[in-house]
Amino acid sequence: MGFSITLDGAAHEVEILELRPRLKLRIDGRAYTVTGEQQEEDGRHRLEIDGRPVSFARVHVGARQALRIDGRTFEAVLVDPRDEADAAAAGHDHVRAPMPGAVIQVHKRVGEPVSRGETLLTIESMKLQMALAAPRDGVLAELKRGVGETFDKDEIVAELEPLDRAGD
Amino acid sequence: MSRFPFRKVLIANRGEIACRVERTLRDLGLASVAVHHAVEAGAPHVRGADEAVELRGATPVAAHLDIEQIVAAALRTGAEAIHPGYGFLSENARFAAAANDAGLVFVGPEAETIRLMGDKISAREFARAQGVPVAPSVTPTGDPEAFRRDAEAIGFPLLIKAAAGGGGKGMSIVRSPAELGEAARIAIGEAERYFHDGRIYAETYVERPRHIEVQVAGDGKGRAIHLHERECSVQRRFQKIIEETPAANLPPALREEICDSAVRLAAAARYRNLGTVEFILAPDGRFFFLEMNTRLQVEHPVTEMVTGLDLVQLQLEIAAGLGLTLRQGDVRVAGHAIECRVCAENADNGFLPETGVVRLLEAPSRPWLRFENALEVGLKVTADFDPMLAKLVTYGHSRDEAIDRSIAALRELTLLGVRTNIDYLGRALDHPAFRAGDLHTGFVAEHAAALAPRTPAPGALHAALIAAALGFREFRALANDAPEPYASIGPWRN
Repeated sequence: MGFSITLDGAAHEVEILELRPRLKLRIDGRAYTVTGEQQEEDGRHRLEIDGRPVSFARVHVGARQALRIDGRTFEAVLVDPRDEADAAAAGHDHVRAPMPGAVIQVHKRVGEPVSRGETLLTIESMKLQMALAAPRDGVLAELKRGVGETFDKDEIVAELEPLDRAGD
Repeated sequence: MSRFPFRKVLIANRGEIACRVERTLRDLGLASVAVHHAVEAGAPHVRGADEAVELRGATPVAAHLDIEQIVAAALRTGAEAIHPGYGFLSENARFAAAANDAGLVFVGPEAETIRLMGDKISAREFARAQGVPVAPSVTPTGDPEAFRRDAEAIGFPLLIKAAAGGGGKGMSIVRSPAELGEAARIAIGEAERYFHDGRIYAETYVERPRHIEVQVAGDGKGRAIHLHERECSVQRRFQKIIEETPAANLPPALREEICDSAVRLAAAARYRNLGTVEFILAPDGRFFFLEMNTRLQVEHPVTEMVTGLDLVQLQLEIAAGLGLTLRQGDVRVAGHAIECRVCAENADNGFLPETGVVRLLEAPSRPWLRFENALEVGLKVTADFDPMLAKLVTYGHSRDEAIDRSIAALRELTLLGVRTNIDYLGRALDHPAFRAGDLHTGFVAEHAAALAPRTPAPGALHAALIAAALGFREFRALANDAPEPYASIGPWRN
């Protein structure tokens, strides 16, 4: 049984070879035996990989995990094969905010045609200004935020008309 | 009987600097009043104060910028002085004047001095008049042709800046006369929007400049001293992320010349308070006045580490009219100190700000470390405030030791729940150019590729993947749902 996990954006296969008497995993072609897993009161986790002690910290942030291990932070996501197909299909209709902040200028009106790369909105967050550009040619279908309005990271701030209708 | 003419001080700030000021007030036996917006009720700086006042405002930042409300809060709580920290109203002449008019002691300079230094054009003129080197500059007069001619006379590249500017706003590098008109137009627009003051100027742009600043202290009567320099060349988006003192590889005669210039400026301005005179240092040893910050600096702890002085205490003594309790000869520097600014940002993607909730926090503790912060588990990191979360300040007997200790401390520091630049800071300190002291303000850009995260060795990478796998519900469910003999093994305790 295998799982695909992305660590800092790079996908890896983690395969379960054995559950008993010891957990055995295979990653990128290498087998590991995992024993002695425990969680300490301070939130740290300990386990042994091939008998070598490993200590790390973990928190869940939505579907992601942030791990602090060996003086370094990693972000891990379990890849659900169903998600991958969806994401590839839908991505380009939405303009998402790459950072939290507020709209300071709107450059296009709803219904107006836009070209790929053209600035739709200027946003600002913590002293940094940036232009949000159209991800493709199309028509601006909806502006979710106006001047002065705020948004969170990854929120959809504008939508282009759906791709499947673009050719109508 | 206290030597201070005030017994209670309102801190017109928040976060780590409010906590920092509260600490010195406590040490000196003075009471503290915190101010906060509703979103920060119960924050560490509120809990750490003797009293707290809630400020109303459409946004948290608006509340912290509300002069009338803050002065009223001071009067209502019986505070007799206001410490402004850094940022917010700390360099607002109107605030200093409003505090004084209300009979309160402003822990800072005279409003007039703030005005003089706050305007980059008047500050430059003042510095030039004191014999402090200032980069050649031109100011547009409305005749674009004349502006271009004057600019060409100085020579390109030029750096355009806003007279009322700061934080990199309205700044741009112009490399040829053809770009000048458009760059000036954009800069004026940005200056008007950010500072409501469209005045700009263009000055000689120094390639590979180092940012060297001098900590000064003045008694307001014309006596000033310096507490040596700091180097703040490691910056991103024109904002500092690593600062240190002493500056690496600075010839003693040049160091002295720079520090003396700063003292001359502070003395001539009859400067009252601690302040920072910023310079850019060219590779050929020329240095130019940049600006003076008339407040406590974010990076002041590195100076405290090597001098053993409490800079907030010095500020309070000066504000209290006790004058400078030190002479220049009393200020001695031992060792080396480095500050790393821990920010909520994605260092691997243009340093864009990040938000989240602090879920886990473990800070190292050593006699040579200060972890200046107002963090706690559950703290929401929002876009309401600056992305700086904390400062890790490390002392070493030598620069090498300070670097090694900083890297070790950054590795130990665990802050999960919001993405931070902690690992990036460690990589920056460990870069051969940083270790060699080969610094300039383009350090981050120049070494971008080398400072990107490296793929860990397979052992470390796989350990992280195993740790991750065990944390996913789907993975554990599989283990537990498996038919005998694999069922209900729970955690693998063998």
